[in-house]
Amino acid sequence: MTGKKRLKKIILVLLATGIAYLFLVPLLFMIFTSFKTLSESIASSELLPRLWTVENYLSILSDTVNSPILRWFANTVIVTAAGTAATVVVDCFAAYALARLDLPGKKKILVLIVWVMSIPGIVTLFPAFYLFRQFSLIDTFAPLILPYTANVTGVYLIYNFLVDFPTSLEEAAKVDGAGVFRIFTVIVLPCIRPIILTLAFVTFLGIYNDYLWPSLVVTSNEMKTVTVGIASLVLGANFVNPGLMMAATVFAVVPALLLFMFLNKYIVRGETNVGIK
Amino acid sequence: MKKRTGKAILFFTPFVVCFLVFWVLPFLYGMYMSFRKVSLTKGDRGFVGLENYRALFEQSSMHAQDFFLGLKNTLLFVAVSVPLLIVIALVLALIVDALPARLKSIYRTIFFMSYAISVTAVSSVFLWLFNGNGGYINNLLVQAHFIQKPIPWLEAQPFAWIVLVAATVWWTVGYNMMLFINGLNEIDGALYEAASVDGAGFLKKLWYITLPGIRNVTAYVSLTSVIASFNMYGQANLITRGGPTQSTKTLIMVIQDVILKKNNLGVGNAMALVMGFIVMAFALCQQYLTREKKELKEVSGDDR
Repeated sequence: MTGKKRLKKIILVLLATGIAYLFLVPLLFMIFTSFKTLSESIASSELLPRLWTVENYLSILSDTVNSPILRWFANTVIVTAAGTAATVVVDCFAAYALARLDLPGKKKILVLIVWVMSIPGIVTLFPAFYLFRQFSLIDTFAPLILPYTANVTGVYLIYNFLVDFPTSLEEAAKVDGAGVFRIFTVIVLPCIRPIILTLAFVTFLGIYNDYLWPSLVVTSNEMKTVTVGIASLVLGANFVNPGLMMAATVFAVVPALLLFMFLNKYIVRGETNVGIK
Repeated sequence: MKKRTGKAILFFTPFVVCFLVFWVLPFLYGMYMSFRKVSLTKGDRGFVGLENYRALFEQSSMHAQDFFLGLKNTLLFVAVSVPLLIVIALVLALIVDALPARLKSIYRTIFFMSYAISVTAVSSVFLWLFNGNGGYINNLLVQAHFIQKPIPWLEAQPFAWIVLVAATVWWTVGYNMMLFINGLNEIDGALYEAASVDGAGFLKKLWYITLPGIRNVTAYVSLTSVIASFNMYGQANLITRGGPTQSTKTLIMVIQDVILKKNNLGVGNAMALVMGFIVMAFALCQQYLTREKKELKEVSGDDR
């Protein structure tokens, strides 16, 4: 019996490892190809390079006209940091008003939020682009950051978490005479840190990964985010050299992956709470 | 009481301002433009009533042909990708769930990791994995004598769809898996033990305990997957560029073309609204079908 059970476990682990390898192949391909020479990168059926070279990285970094990757990187940091911070703050306050305070029309607002969540972004995308154009804000940071703050999903996520969260601490603080603002910032926010981190990470990924919107509102090469920059390389002339492309892609992927690894253990729990009630 | 209402409004105001300016305003403006003859270069040239909408449904119109081509392609992608995104995610979740505790988090991280990669990076990698001429997969298959000559992955069907679906599954299935894993954790372990005592095998337990236990998660996962697949854009735009012969051109690509290349904001916004209506109808049908009598908690139980 135990022998059979152990065999089952071993088969399961082998199966999981096989699938894990399939999942890792694209990433390994990306990393190893970035270290290959041109001739090897288009002819090889092996992942590992025979001849390691950093030539691809050097030429990506030195070609600051076509691929100002450090500039794109700085833009991405500015846009994701500002956009994420603004969204999280705005959403937390709104969710607290919905979950705990006497906000008039609460029920109607919640129904509206659920409706809006199922409307695809394309409906507002081009009108928003047209409006930003009318105000001559194209190719500035404003359209790259501000529109993300209209994030109903975030409000809904925090709201759902707060509804299930015990109110006893807040009641106690109220008895002690603490004001609403103090209760919210000193007691509630630290207590719901896991869900805030989840929202921050999901929002960060959403902004970082967004492609269609920033490619509309950015026209100059210097204002591109990493994601848009990579797209312009894919669609552009560098297409002929996979090693070069993969080196650029590594620049775009690695920071988010590292952040992901770091936050992984924090975000595991919270995410289920969106909408599954 | 009065004071708390005041604070509530104060707390809610920043969100309302953002939502009004960056969602409601563009939404209404898009609706307004869909009734007008308007373009990016020539501006607004007046009210045309339902003309833009008629152009979408009149068979002879160029816009109608584009729209229904995009709709057909998008529906095909939804029909193929959504079942895979659900079934593969569930299988991965079941595997991770059954793994020894020490290995769980490693495998979970590997399967979830690709979700943190941007769509343009995913496209860039898959473009070269599946390149017809010198791509890794072709080199591998030729080397192993599975195929005689390279497969034109990006230039012929059904290969182009296979690549797009594979890229999408690889990119996003880990997120669905995470939701399933969390759902599985919430099933009462005693149920499985009782079933084992009664001699139920793996399939019986899956059918009678696991699947009913994660019903809500499955409903949520299928809803978000349908919406996400409807919105497919980046992969097709970068990997296949809508080809071969427009067979992977999705609705969003069609809308983008109408607005930017054909310079018609009126028809483009009409298309976007019709698409929005279709997706919402899908979402509402699905919620209606899966919810049964269960009231949404957030709407009902909140009269404190």
